[in-house]
Amino acid sequence: MAAGTQAHSLTRAQGKTHGRSSFWVMAREAFWIAVEALRAHKLRSFLTLLGVVIATTTLIVVISVINGMNVYIADRIANLGANVFIVDRFNWANTSDEEWVKEQRRNKPILMTDYDYLKDSLEGYKAIGASAGMRTASPEIRYQNHTLYEVEISGETPSMIGMEQEQVGSGRYFTDAEYDHSALVCFVGQDLVDGFFANSDPLDKTIAIGGQPFRIVGVAKRIGKTLGQSQDDFVQMPLTTFHKLYASRPGVSIQIQAQNDHQMMELEDETRALMRARHHVPYKETDDFGINASATIMGLWQQLTGSIFAITIAIVAVFMVVGGIVIMNIMLASVTERTHEIGIRKSLGARRFDILMQFVIESGVMSGVGGIAGIVLAVVIAKLVDMVFTASVPVSAVVIGLGLSTAVGLFFGIYPASKAAKLDPIEALRTEA
Amino acid sequence: MGSQVLTSPVQERYAPPDGVLIQVDDLWKTYDMGGAIQVNALSGVSFEIRRGEYVAIMGPSGSGKSTLMNLIGCLDTPTRGQYWLNGKLVSELTDDELAYIRNKEIGFVFQTFNLLSRASALHNVELPLIYNGTPAVERLERARESLQRVDLGDRMDHKPNELSGGQRQRVAIARALVNNPSLLLADEPTGNLDSATGEEIMNLFDRLLAAGNTIVLVTHEHDIAARARRIIHVRDGRVARDEQVR
Repeated sequence: MAAGTQAHSLTRAQGKTHGRSSFWVMAREAFWIAVEALRAHKLRSFLTLLGVVIATTTLIVVISVINGMNVYIADRIANLGANVFIVDRFNWANTSDEEWVKEQRRNKPILMTDYDYLKDSLEGYKAIGASAGMRTASPEIRYQNHTLYEVEISGETPSMIGMEQEQVGSGRYFTDAEYDHSALVCFVGQDLVDGFFANSDPLDKTIAIGGQPFRIVGVAKRIGKTLGQSQDDFVQMPLTTFHKLYASRPGVSIQIQAQNDHQMMELEDETRALMRARHHVPYKETDDFGINASATIMGLWQQLTGSIFAITIAIVAVFMVVGGIVIMNIMLASVTERTHEIGIRKSLGARRFDILMQFVIESGVMSGVGGIAGIVLAVVIAKLVDMVFTASVPVSAVVIGLGLSTAVGLFFGIYPASKAAKLDPIEALRTEA
Repeated sequence: MGSQVLTSPVQERYAPPDGVLIQVDDLWKTYDMGGAIQVNALSGVSFEIRRGEYVAIMGPSGSGKSTLMNLIGCLDTPTRGQYWLNGKLVSELTDDELAYIRNKEIGFVFQTFNLLSRASALHNVELPLIYNGTPAVERLERARESLQRVDLGDRMDHKPNELSGGQRQRVAIARALVNNPSLLLADEPTGNLDSATGEEIMNLFDRLLAAGNTIVLVTHEHDIAARARRIIHVRDGRVARDEQVR
């Protein structure tokens, strides 16, 4: 009795060592079986993996576009200038539709008198400026027999240079004297130079804006494109000139730059108090103007991307589950098809776990290949999107895409694989190949 | 039959002596056919096979010889009785432990070859080594050696459908031997071959016997069984005759 028990426990112990050493060898074998199976059934594999491919592509493209826009938003906020906030007629980051409707109805335009008041009453700011602009319905701009349309025309206080993204490339910005006298001078972007002055110096040339002659005093440095939109098609003139020409548009927005980060809050609070007093806003009523800082814009953006992301996750989850079920179905068929093979492998010493691994890995490799195809497709689409809009594929998205698609295959492979693992070796061998 | 079961003594668990490779002791295999109907495929089979023996198990279809082969091959477990293989009581092992025994102790040669059709001869021979975790370099070397032993050194990269029946069976034999098993178990190894090729395979078995292998051959053909040294005749689930022929 004792000898038998001893012999018995010996075989068990040996069985365990056998398991540990064979894992990686078996995993590699399973990997090549999977690759071979994919190669042998190209069309079937393609159809099987379509769901996973679409899911992965969708996920990565959306992440890439959001990522691209994040870069853009960050750029724009950087271009806003450090520690700048804007007093505008509206709050840009409205949380609800009712609030928006209310603001539309109630808020009055910010006027130059507000600007003058803040300029005199606020203390300690680094710079303050005002601007007003229009793009849609802007008048055409002519130079000799050339015409440009839809150029952004704005009026600015001389203090605005340095608070926005425009920088002087050649010539100069308009002066306080020109501002005070509503001079017909302008500061233009590079697109106008490209359109009008390909072979000549734009400085001191006269262009016609809405029929009025303007002398070009300065040209901005090239800014480039964001979201496929040129940032260089603008003409700036003194705000006083702008108001004289377009008297129907008295509204402005006021930009205030704080000395530093700490002063921002203080300055915002002070501005709010001054504006409320000036507009006679009752104690319990909300502001009838908006104070917008980079934090506000970021908040709005995150709110927007948050909902885009939630929808994307829902869509991707549905695709992945459908893709996973298709894979499971094909794997079940594959197990039936290869019952004889499973019998052979079992007769040669494959344990349940080995067979389980074989089919789970096969399923994982299959969907992983689908994931890689999805990533390649997504990168191509992102490149195309980037040409007209913006997109940039983050490495993390590639990792997530590959990981997620593989995980789906592994998960949905478990059931077919466990069916294969449980097959009786004798029955399996008896099945015709 | 029933009374025999009730009165059978407490099972002895002493391992057989070292020279005995297989000891089968009162082996029963009963199948439930649904309801109260039970069919005994084996009803108390006992015998011993020593190392280096060449034994044929003979019997007509339905005699229980396939069931016996499955039990000896550790593909199945007996309903009752003991089976000692190479000093281990394998009749009481779990599925995975049996898989380990099949891998280490037994080399199968089947009538229908049972090769993986998509894999090369070399990879087919490698398979048993994959399931015991042999590293790739050693695995390839041993698989090549094994194929050379059956004179297929020049056909290693061929797939089974590019080989003749005899060559396929030789690949199967190379696969059976690659792990140096203690038992070579052949089930109608010449059943799918013409007589000349069958003869070739039987000659190969003679050579393997001379090299020290223990061979158990399951067949229903007299001329094939006659090549063995000893024939165990199975009939109606029992050993009908156990004769030394050479």
